[in-house]
Amino acid sequence: MSKLDPTDIQGFVLRGYTFPFARYLLLEILAMGGREFIAKLIKEITTGEHWDQGKPRTTVNVAFTYKGLLKLELPEPSLQSFPSEFVQGMKARGAILCDTGRNAPDRWEPIWRNERVDAWLGVYAESKPELERQCADLQGLMASTNGAEVVGSQDAGALVVDGKVTTKEHFGFTDGFGNPDYTGVRRDTQPGQGKLGDDGKWVPLATGELLLGYADEAGELPTAPIPHLLANNGTFMVYRKIHQNVQKFRDYLHAKGKLYGDKEKLASKFIGRWRDGTPIEISPNAPNPDLVKDKEKNVNFTFGNDPDGVRCPIGAHVRRTNPRDAFGFGGKLVNRRRIARRGLPYGPYASEEQIVDDAEERGLIFIVINASIFRQFEFIQQQWIEYGNDAHLGNDKDILMGNHDGTGKSVIQGSDDPSNAPFICASLPNFVELRGGNYFFVPSITALRMIAAKTVDPR
Amino acid sequence: MANKSGSIYGLTIFSPIKDEPNIEVSHSLALRMYLAQMPRHRHSPFAKFSGTHFARLVVMDDVVYVGMPACEEHLQSKYLIFESNFDGDLDLYLAQMAKEIPQTVNDLWQHCEGFPGVADLASFIAYMKACQVTTTFFFADVNCKTVDQTLLALQTQSAVATFIEAHQGAPPGQLQEAFAQFVEKLNKAPLPLPGATLGKELVDELV
Repeated sequence: MSKLDPTDIQGFVLRGYTFPFARYLLLEILAMGGREFIAKLIKEITTGEHWDQGKPRTTVNVAFTYKGLLKLELPEPSLQSFPSEFVQGMKARGAILCDTGRNAPDRWEPIWRNERVDAWLGVYAESKPELERQCADLQGLMASTNGAEVVGSQDAGALVVDGKVTTKEHFGFTDGFGNPDYTGVRRDTQPGQGKLGDDGKWVPLATGELLLGYADEAGELPTAPIPHLLANNGTFMVYRKIHQNVQKFRDYLHAKGKLYGDKEKLASKFIGRWRDGTPIEISPNAPNPDLVKDKEKNVNFTFGNDPDGVRCPIGAHVRRTNPRDAFGFGGKLVNRRRIARRGLPYGPYASEEQIVDDAEERGLIFIVINASIFRQFEFIQQQWIEYGNDAHLGNDKDILMGNHDGTGKSVIQGSDDPSNAPFICASLPNFVELRGGNYFFVPSITALRMIAAKTVDPR
Repeated sequence: MANKSGSIYGLTIFSPIKDEPNIEVSHSLALRMYLAQMPRHRHSPFAKFSGTHFARLVVMDDVVYVGMPACEEHLQSKYLIFESNFDGDLDLYLAQMAKEIPQTVNDLWQHCEGFPGVADLASFIAYMKACQVTTTFFFADVNCKTVDQTLLALQTQSAVATFIEAHQGAPPGQLQEAFAQFVEKLNKAPLPLPGATLGKELVDELV
């Protein structure tokens, strides 16, 4: 196993910052000073450097679309060596991703529909003033180098509920559990977050599932651009702006909850967790705040002993997107389909009592970090979110994330216990709608220096 | 386990493709062009006779040499590969092919060495069997159910889900009455055609 150099890897690849405020600056790179801007930006970039002196007040990270790399004049052989899904971009992958109908690019925000974004700057901060200060500094850098222009900006941040910063998303579920552990990445390992070893214990995933330049779960190096130095310690990012139809969700849950008998239990069956985060595979009858807090337990479960979905339905979101051992073979079938998520909600929290206008800006900026967009994110999206065959669910889609268009159906398994009766959700609408996004390359610090100095040498 | 998985037969045929250096379009290319325009799914000629779960035709050129340390090897000819998973008996299935889709069979296998045509059934069956290799892997979705049983099960599953959605939570008496009517309609419903998509209209009508 290679030792990782965290100072060469962009920080948000290795960890979620858990800052309450974020702004994503969407840039067009200007021919005049693009590389000079990158050169000067590097000292602002937050790496995976250990925070022995405590957290910084802000963080900055950068990623590029294929068009951005073209504008930065990477050599042709390097450009041609990138994986094709990244070169094509997310819009062109719409048919594969089921980004059709309500999620189709013609309904995206113009900036994504017109594929204007060359670069993404992710700015996270401990406070709003710090966020503004950091963004102003970056704007100043762009202006002084004449290297880039902000063509779009997206604010996101932790939802504040009753005056408290939370990890909730707009449907009311506590989010942010279950990011995988990877070999060599320093963090507090929790049982349940890596992969199942042969002895049934949890161990970290291969580094090459997260980063380019390291062996992945197949013992191969992930497909990566040349030269090695351009790819090494870099990775790929998926950015999706997902609008949430909060009122539509609440109305549906209210109507079906009456039939089901217990609205909150039905909600928990959609996701596989109670809204407070309690995993229903462990605690199917009631939320358990102690369990949510217990890092030894809150992601430490498997589905192998619940093949019929009696506790956690087979189509519940957490089971679909991380089936753990549900497909047999000791969980090995899922180890190459894991992703790290770095998303944050956008738009203000709306309390349960509040009537919500679904035209308002409210949703989730869904950010994925993975070594292969094709093998990891796209597979999960296509096969496990928008289709159900791997789980023997026919063409049932993920209840919350699926592109249902009013005709979706999903079976919630149960038992002969009347308080856990099976239930069928039909006429499912789109609880979420895609507003745009793209695929990005997240270079290492070394690669950023090479790009800025125009010394990427593929020979 | 070879060739049979429960009631399902797995047929694998490798027919050598003719190699004639003095013709304008090679037999393998002619086959590729024919295959490219062949109708698929419910319009596939193989959907015309019941019992085919899955059928696939492939032109195999050669084995691919990937460089050292692999040794360089070649096939003696190009092959037309025909794979089919079907219900029942091999002789009957081949006879059905000869009877129901003789034109398709002729169009395909005319490019293969030694193909005797379909007019003489015995020699056609003997030819296909001579080209047969043992099947060890089956199409993943094939279980021990016939095509008709599978189509019926899919129709039932879809209709039951729609029925439950429409009636869940209803009082027991009403539910029983509705269910009895539903079952009666379902039992009388025609079997969906092979390869057909189960239309919402069909299911709605049943419920």
